[in-house]
Amino acid sequence: MTNAKLLIIDDEVEFASTLCQRLQLRGFDATDMHSGGEGLAILSTIEPEIVILDLKMPDMSGLDVLEEIKNHNQSIEVIILTGHGSAESGIEAMEKGAFDYLMKPVDLKELLEKINSADEKRNKA
Amino acid sequence: MNEQPIWLSKILPPPSDNILSGADIDKGYKNFSRGLRFILTGLVFVPLLFISILSYDQVRELLQTEELDQLVLHLEQATSAIEKFVSELQSVIKFVAPDGRYQELRDPKKLESLFVRLQSEYPGFADIEVIDNKGMQESYFGPYQLKEHNYSDQTWYKEVLLNGVYISSVFSGFRNFPHFVIAVSRKLPQQQGNWVLRVTIDGQTLQDFVDTISTTYADDIFLVDLNCFAQTTPQKYGKIGEKCLLPDLADKTDKRLKEKILERKKSFQKAAVMRILQKSFHGQQIIYAVVPLSNTPWQVVLVKEQYLYADSWREFKIRLTTIFLTCILTAIYVILGISNAITDHLRESDKKREQFLIEAEQPNKLASIGRLAAGVAHEINNPLAVINQKTGLVQDFLEMSDDFTHKKLIEETLDGIQNNVGRCKKITHRLLGFARQAEVKTEEIDINDIVREVVDFLAKEASYNQIKIDFDLDEHVSTIVSDRGQLQQILINITNNAIDAIGSNGQVTLSSRQVDQDNIQIRITDDGPGIPPEVQQRIFDPFFTTKETGKGTGLGLSIVYGLIKKLGGNINVISEVGTGTAFEITLPVKQSEQQ
Repeated sequence: MTNAKLLIIDDEVEFASTLCQRLQLRGFDATDMHSGGEGLAILSTIEPEIVILDLKMPDMSGLDVLEEIKNHNQSIEVIILTGHGSAESGIEAMEKGAFDYLMKPVDLKELLEKINSADEKRNKA
Repeated sequence: MNEQPIWLSKILPPPSDNILSGADIDKGYKNFSRGLRFILTGLVFVPLLFISILSYDQVRELLQTEELDQLVLHLEQATSAIEKFVSELQSVIKFVAPDGRYQELRDPKKLESLFVRLQSEYPGFADIEVIDNKGMQESYFGPYQLKEHNYSDQTWYKEVLLNGVYISSVFSGFRNFPHFVIAVSRKLPQQQGNWVLRVTIDGQTLQDFVDTISTTYADDIFLVDLNCFAQTTPQKYGKIGEKCLLPDLADKTDKRLKEKILERKKSFQKAAVMRILQKSFHGQQIIYAVVPLSNTPWQVVLVKEQYLYADSWREFKIRLTTIFLTCILTAIYVILGISNAITDHLRESDKKREQFLIEAEQPNKLASIGRLAAGVAHEINNPLAVINQKTGLVQDFLEMSDDFTHKKLIEETLDGIQNNVGRCKKITHRLLGFARQAEVKTEEIDINDIVREVVDFLAKEASYNQIKIDFDLDEHVSTIVSDRGQLQQILINITNNAIDAIGSNGQVTLSSRQVDQDNIQIRITDDGPGIPPEVQQRIFDPFFTTKETGKGTGLGLSIVYGLIKKLGGNINVISEVGTGTAFEITLPVKQSEQQ
């Protein structure tokens, strides 16, 4: 099990904080932020290894945030969470450099697997 | 549509604005057909009737005029012939009795020899007598004992002295056979007055002559005197010496006919004195003309039965009726055909339009339901995610806790919540899939490849249930330009349904074939329980499902339907309960501009 440094960016506060709490319970160094702006602002402070990012947020779109993250640090892996249910937005995100995408409501087990794979990819690189 | 006049809308009712029941629609078509027949029949019948009446009238007029012309012509000929004959008789008598022959003819022998010579020429001469200037019979030759008769008081004698010639009516007298008399007066020398030669002529002479001039044209020709007593024997209209049977012979002429004659027969001198009448005689229409003969007490009567009984008129009437009836019957036959054809055509196109409307409605229905569903699904997904995480967190804590009362029960309850979150997730994801309006991304595809890929994907699940998946692929089927992802989704959906329908132990066959140059077909056949007809009707409706609650959303085939339509294709279901089901998907080889 990895203990990569995680950042959760999702405007749904209760979702983000609960997920964050659960990940912390599993030994992760996880932080949650509730808007794209806040998430980007804290990047340089905490320097996360993996970001879990919501696609639809009121202040800015997840895709723009993704771009900013990749600009900030190419090695950060981003796992997209989308409430759209459609593969298109996820696929588009992957084309822009996201590691993978999951549809809400997300199964924690699935998410953990993705985090592991992302971390493995990071470590290989 | 233009407003139609009231009368037309009464005959040809316009389509109703209200939604009608089947029986009313049928009644509407029947009314329309009836109205159409009525109008078309009127259009044919009225002019035909008009033309027929016109030609009937024209021909009758023509025949009438022709008949009148003929009548007058024959009358003209008859008149002049009889006049000529009578004047010839007069001339002969005048010729044999010049003024100075009185003395010679007083001698009965001389008179006899004259009479014999005359009789050899004119066998009808019955007797001859010479009368002196006192009116006393001077000499006589003939078969009767007429001696020294005094004529001085008789009217005819006065008349012959006055006019120089006298012609009597036909009478029987003491001679006992019809005869008439021609007498001429001749001057005696030295103002001694006039002597008279009187010849009695057998009425048969006149009869024979009239008989010779009668033609087949006239139905009867005879002479009457001024009092309308017959002078020769009529064939039908009386007896000689008796009053003529023709009604109103002395009546004034028919003014209309007379005008017609005067207009056309200016050359006929006697047209002015001629009387022409049209009467009914013993139930038969006859036309007859009466004209007085100059210098005689006689009038010629020419009788003609009217054209109405002639063959030409009868033939014309039969022909006209035949043509009229034939035209009407033909027209009715054609009109029935036309009006039925038009009504059928109308009914057919109405039906097609209705079908088209129903078909056109389906994608719309899907689209609007789709948009609503997407909105709902998206809104629900977020709180669902929160519930999911919160429950997960409680489960996490529970896992870390020591045993306590009801711990197991709480764990089970939380599992229950998670399970139902999973159910909701499935539903919302399908709803979102249903609503997806993604652009079609086309590429050239070998449809057989996609079929194989899909089966690879599903084969494992199928084999768990002892379901065999077979192929019947046409390797020469053309490649199509379509959306790979959507085709996969379509095929997975239907094949999955087939597997679900069979349950276990069965077979699914996927086949491909070329329909025509522009279309290919994929067929997915299963030997499952089949789909009853009432379900088939609703099978593509959104949220329609026969699976038990929680097992299906009722969106799978709706999505399939929407996707196939978007790709320009068509889907058809053929199923029989107890035998199995086949879904036929027809796809275009090329995407049209619109798609």
